[in-house]
Amino acid sequence: MSGGSYSIVGGDLKRAGTASRALKERLKRIGVEPQTVRRAMISAFEAEMNVVIHAHQGTMRFSIDPRQIDIEVSDKGPGIPDIALAMQEGYSTAPAYARELGFGAGMGLPNIKKNSDHLNIQSVVGEGTRLYVTILLKAQNDTIASKNSVHVAAEACRECLRCVRACPTRAIRVRRNTPEILDHLCIDCGACIEVCDTGALRLDGKSDIPKPSEDALLVIHPSFFVQFGAAVRPRDVFKALAHLGFYDVRLTDGWEHALREAVLDYAKQHERTRPVISPTCPAVVNLIEMRFPSLIPHLAPFLSPVEAVQHELAGDSNVFVAACPAQRTALLANQPPTPDEVVAPMSLRKAILRLETQEALGADATPRHPCETHADSRGILQVTGIPHVLRVLEHTENGLLRDVAVLHLCLCTQGCFGAPLSVEDPFVAQHRWGLAYDDLKSSGKAVPRKSPFSPRAGMRLDPDMAKAIAKLAQIDDLTRRLPGKDCGLCGAPTCSAFAEDVALRRAPQTACRCLGDQETKP
Amino acid sequence: MKLSDVATRLDAKVLANAQSVPHIEVHQVYAGDNMSDMLNQVNGATLLVTNLCNTLMARFAELMDVPAICLVNGVAPRAELVSAAAEHGTVLLVSPVSLFETCGRLYQCLNHKTQKAP
Repeated sequence: MSGGSYSIVGGDLKRAGTASRALKERLKRIGVEPQTVRRAMISAFEAEMNVVIHAHQGTMRFSIDPRQIDIEVSDKGPGIPDIALAMQEGYSTAPAYARELGFGAGMGLPNIKKNSDHLNIQSVVGEGTRLYVTILLKAQNDTIASKNSVHVAAEACRECLRCVRACPTRAIRVRRNTPEILDHLCIDCGACIEVCDTGALRLDGKSDIPKPSEDALLVIHPSFFVQFGAAVRPRDVFKALAHLGFYDVRLTDGWEHALREAVLDYAKQHERTRPVISPTCPAVVNLIEMRFPSLIPHLAPFLSPVEAVQHELAGDSNVFVAACPAQRTALLANQPPTPDEVVAPMSLRKAILRLETQEALGADATPRHPCETHADSRGILQVTGIPHVLRVLEHTENGLLRDVAVLHLCLCTQGCFGAPLSVEDPFVAQHRWGLAYDDLKSSGKAVPRKSPFSPRAGMRLDPDMAKAIAKLAQIDDLTRRLPGKDCGLCGAPTCSAFAEDVALRRAPQTACRCLGDQETKP
Repeated sequence: MKLSDVATRLDAKVLANAQSVPHIEVHQVYAGDNMSDMLNQVNGATLLVTNLCNTLMARFAELMDVPAICLVNGVAPRAELVSAAAEHGTVLLVSPVSLFETCGRLYQCLNHKTQKAP
């Protein structure tokens, strides 16, 4: 957070623009991209000149935070009698001398509006005017800006360190009874949620199910229907959902199938980028962007199935059930104008279980959009489960998978059937869905991506290269002295991760119990 | 197009920052006298041609990263504008002819360049 306050004197042309210049200097110093600086300058300069031309005296205040630039320009002056009129292009009350300066064409306020993300004007005739201008800073990288969807409830943590060990990208540290997720490493897979028994790590967002509106759709992965044991068949779950008010349910498997077909076609046209990786699992896409940026050209440019559903249904406010944190993050990042609700499967499951015990299910309800079945695997290598996906990506990077046309990777075992938020065993769940599959199907289509995949900037040890090198040496040195047992008692998953934490001052060196012992020995 | 070529072509006088003229490359020319339009149209490689010659122009160039301003009609701007431009590193040219004719010459200059290029 950075800010400043500058006074503006009415009629003082010599000093006019100094407040805007001060803002510009700040913005440049923190490295705001030129296009945004330009928009801020247009808005600030127009607002400042309005004070110089129309008012006796005024102030420009601004604050800059990582998300936005807020500029507030207030003045003591004549005020604006009719703001709507003043916002019209070509309407001006500027005196003749302002016209000689190049102002007074009635473009000032409309120009600010055009170049800002939010403009609010308050004015009292005879007292003054206050302008609030907001310019959003473009996130350098969307995936980092959207963060992840893992919620940390520190009070529940018992420091069992399971999440530290389960995290495939070593993004978790548990210190002082608090799990901490290093955002730049987190790929939102939910592996930590799966192993957390205490509830300290869970899916972000509200836990209650929204009251479905008239025409709201429920979008859900088939795995949800097989989370209720053998006695409750998928058909019963449909009934229960209808009872809860979700009459129209869309299963995402139709879109999964459509994506599979589209990626196969794409792979035929792009023989050179073998294997083509299907972007079906958002967590795998995150993993590639983070750890395997060299494989980004292998990703087929399509939306993930759940995003494709959202794209197709854009405009209505629907309820999505996220199978994992990565899905929730992807859905919320693509939010169309009407926000969709994204709920955790657990809360919906609980509601259905309550219904099941009451046996209050209504008349038979079948899904409204059944369609024919699709099952095949022409030249597709399907790999699921974190260790396998990691290994296959390494093989791909080393050029060992040229014989594969399409890679269909899911970070969870058995794909979304093994999502971290489901309860049934992934293999059992898939089997049961296979039994029910014939009468419950959906159809969908693949949607090409507009925004390209982009490598995710890892965290540099230090912005200053010399210091970064020094820190690297420190890490190497400490790693050599550490026992290499990867016991995790310090809260970091491995000894080398701990060494990095120490060098970056995330943890004190004394947190390592083994090292302490060694050094106290004579 | 090189700013030095432009200056020769226009037969313009350089009032401020003559030393940087040979190093400046101009990709766009914008002519106007409406501040709001100018704010929206200029960029870091724009030669701004205008008949406005108040002190504010130097500030404008500074805020919008405009490398050079060309005044017209052979005006003698106030010393304040010249010194402000010199201070901010903005090149200040004065074309001896009118806004219309200046633009005409610049247009020819640009066209000539583009025809020669391929």
